[in-house]
Amino acid sequence: MPAMSERIACQGCDLLVDVGELQAPAQAHCPRCGHFLTRALNDGHMRALLYGISAAIFLTVANTFPFLTLEAQGLASSMTLPRTALELYVYGMPFLSALVGIFIILLPAVLVFLLIAVCLPLVRQRSAPWLKDCAHLFYLTQNWAMVEVFIIGVVVSLVKLANMADVTLGLSFWAYVGFSLCFTAGLSCLDRFQTWQAIERLQQ
Amino acid sequence: MTTAAANNLASCHLCCKLSSASESHCSRCGAPLHVRKTNSLQRTLALLITANVLYVPANVFPIMITDQLGQSVPSTIIGGVVLLIQLGSIPVAAVIFIASVIVPLSKFLIMYYLVWAVANPRQAGLRQHTQVYRVTEFIGKWSMIDVFVVAILVALVHLGGIIEIRPGIAALSFAGVVITTMIAAESFDSRLLWDHLEAEKHD
Repeated sequence: MPAMSERIACQGCDLLVDVGELQAPAQAHCPRCGHFLTRALNDGHMRALLYGISAAIFLTVANTFPFLTLEAQGLASSMTLPRTALELYVYGMPFLSALVGIFIILLPAVLVFLLIAVCLPLVRQRSAPWLKDCAHLFYLTQNWAMVEVFIIGVVVSLVKLANMADVTLGLSFWAYVGFSLCFTAGLSCLDRFQTWQAIERLQQ
Repeated sequence: MTTAAANNLASCHLCCKLSSASESHCSRCGAPLHVRKTNSLQRTLALLITANVLYVPANVFPIMITDQLGQSVPSTIIGGVVLLIQLGSIPVAAVIFIASVIVPLSKFLIMYYLVWAVANPRQAGLRQHTQVYRVTEFIGKWSMIDVFVVAILVALVHLGGIIEIRPGIAALSFAGVVITTMIAAESFDSRLLWDHLEAEKHD
């Protein structure tokens, strides 16, 4: 390894920092502006892979069963997760419907898929033709998933409906909470700098 | 203490690899290389102004309409907060108020201030400015809470003609506000705050 590649330019202030070989588990922050630089974890890619697989299972369940059920005056209605986005389309808001669908289901699903596609070759220590493209797309779109925000949205909705009807949390809601935890954990295990270093080493 | 730019290096925004500043693309991941984000201040300002414009319909028009027993009751963002206070749900009213009013407004102010700070460089407070920028960047997507609440209520509340909830145009405008401010924050380059230190070193 050339010594050069262990240097990072801080994304916050452009200071050149020599992080050397980080002994996992360890984090590096910029000495000038304090911005996070990189984090080395024990078995980071293995952990990310396992979180990714769990997240994929949770998300599948979350899309299958009722998410919330509402009961009032002997009438009931329930909704599934995809309905949240699709119903806006029914009411003539195709653009908003697409945005909600992308932020809470499609993009998270794509990110989990990419996470697995990136971690699998890294764990097996064997390069794959899709590795770079998948990693590229992963880091490009990573910040746009809004899984945790949506969960807070569900909690707020429950309070808004509390005095009007009985709302029951369905199996899918709990699956989505599980998905959110695994998804966030998986993303945080896939450190940008360390992952690209590992990809480069694998392809040499 | 020396910066990448002073060493004629460009750091890839996607994979962190350092390359010569004359390269056009990163040799490792293929992303376009720039020493600083392109037209950072212009883009940030343009997107901020767009968000400001969208913020008006987002607050004036109803975010959702409740049809109950033949009556249509529209409610705005602020109306929703007031309703929650009347229902006695102060913590949830606070969450919505912070996410839908305080966060977007402070984001506007902070981003305008940061653009001004780049144009009027100072020695002091750079570290704090950079940290404030990071927080602003991180917190942006939490403003979507209200839009998601509307989406959930619309999908859930269908009680055989007794009560229905329809989305209002403000939901779309407000989603626009959140997205444009997120892109504005992403377009801003906090390294510009620090660049004058390097220039002064050479004077």
